[in-house]
Amino acid sequence: MPVIEVSKLGKDFSAGRARVRALADVSFSVEEGQFVTLVGPSGCGKSTLLQILAGLIAATSGEARIEGERICAPMPDKIGMVFQDPTLLPWKTALANVEFPLDLRGIDRTARRKRCAALLELVGLSEFADHYPHELSGGMRQRVAIARGLAQDPRLILMDEPFAALDEQTRTRMGHDLLDIWAKTGKTVFFITHSLTEAIYLSDVVLVMSPRPGQVIDTIAIDFPRPREVDIIGSEAFGRIRNRIWHLIAEAPA
Amino acid sequence: MGAAVAGYLTFAVVLLGGWELTARLALVDATLLPPLSEVCVILWRFLHDPRFIADLGLTGGEVAVAFLIAAPLAISTGFLLGERLHLAETFNPVVHFILAVPQSIFLPVFILAFGIGFLEKVLFGITHAYFVILVNSFAAVRSIPRPLVAAARVFGATRAQIYTRIYLPAMLPLILTGLRLGMIFCIIGVLLAEMYASRRGIGRLIFTWGEGYQIPQLLAGIVLVSVLTIAVNEAMRLGELHVGRFYARASAA
Repeated sequence: MPVIEVSKLGKDFSAGRARVRALADVSFSVEEGQFVTLVGPSGCGKSTLLQILAGLIAATSGEARIEGERICAPMPDKIGMVFQDPTLLPWKTALANVEFPLDLRGIDRTARRKRCAALLELVGLSEFADHYPHELSGGMRQRVAIARGLAQDPRLILMDEPFAALDEQTRTRMGHDLLDIWAKTGKTVFFITHSLTEAIYLSDVVLVMSPRPGQVIDTIAIDFPRPREVDIIGSEAFGRIRNRIWHLIAEAPA
Repeated sequence: MGAAVAGYLTFAVVLLGGWELTARLALVDATLLPPLSEVCVILWRFLHDPRFIADLGLTGGEVAVAFLIAAPLAISTGFLLGERLHLAETFNPVVHFILAVPQSIFLPVFILAFGIGFLEKVLFGITHAYFVILVNSFAAVRSIPRPLVAAARVFGATRAQIYTRIYLPAMLPLILTGLRLGMIFCIIGVLLAEMYASRRGIGRLIFTWGEGYQIPQLLAGIVLVSVLTIAVNEAMRLGELHVGRFYARASAA
């Protein structure tokens, strides 16, 4: 059974009297353990799709299922999420932020402390457990957010342009480390970005989305061997895939 | 922090030292400006006079009752307006109209309606504190970052948990600022009402001393009220700095 199964998903927004079609007939599926990235231009409805998968907003038509269950509300035990903005609570330490989802479920302090300290170690921030978000760099904050997304041990992690606000070096480094974390935890990752390079470097499968109304116009399997090194970005094969996706998006009817 | 303390001390030394020197050197007529030391002696005597303490206690009681009624009312109205924006569209202009009018001009109306006793003082204190606290409470709700709420929902927070775990801590710094300003306004309202028409209370005493040219007593009253209000304000400000400490650096960056 696919972890994510989306069929003929549509979403309209009403803007004053007009109705704006954000998503039209989006269909795809993501298998367990895959790293799948959705790329598309700004405003193509990528984030809307993710909000539907997260159970934050309802679709207008079609349906989306997570592990076979139809989404109608957030599913904290099935889905962890990392947002573009780290959305850490400013008044809690890094460790307490990672613990937050478990704290909400009323899991006892010693149990959650142990688990979350291990997660901070996984993202390389053990030494910063007692730091508050404003004392951390942008990249570090996003690492804390990744650890928090893993806290409830969901099988699926949704990532909404998590590295978009970081500088290029940090961004590349974070991508590399994310692949490492993904390999160690065996999670299914559904990642959203507008960076083609990031999408190809990270993914098993890249879903290409057209401008509004958003539609999945192609599904591209990326079969560079893993573990991947950053160097593949400069290779000819990488460039060919990049160009292909670029043309797909550029030539899609806007 | 150290710099601020140095600032306070310098200010106190210059002001109080300047006062004592001016009076000692007889630069100003001694009946108009008695030396600080003399005023302190009178103040010391007041503090051991049960009638004075009763007046002070009455004023303090009026301020406390007014504040304790105004604060929860204002915070909840501000919260309601912040959460229900269509209500805010209707009522925010009204709030700003009322904020723009100097409330002291309504004092004679209050006296006609409620007399010159405890009730009138409390009501006048409430109307002074209410709107400032309301405006800050409204701003506090609007200042809650929406992505934090979305994140909490994705992690399974219930509605009650969103209010207690996200709203409350996120709103606290602005709420406390509102409460502190509300306290200042509340004290102003009560003292004003006492000075204008009253039989008792520290405001009344200060007014009477002024009318009777009892300058040392007048200054003793002024010094005492100033010290007390500064102490209340600073105590509340420390609370604000404590809960706002996570934001200070973020906003400076």
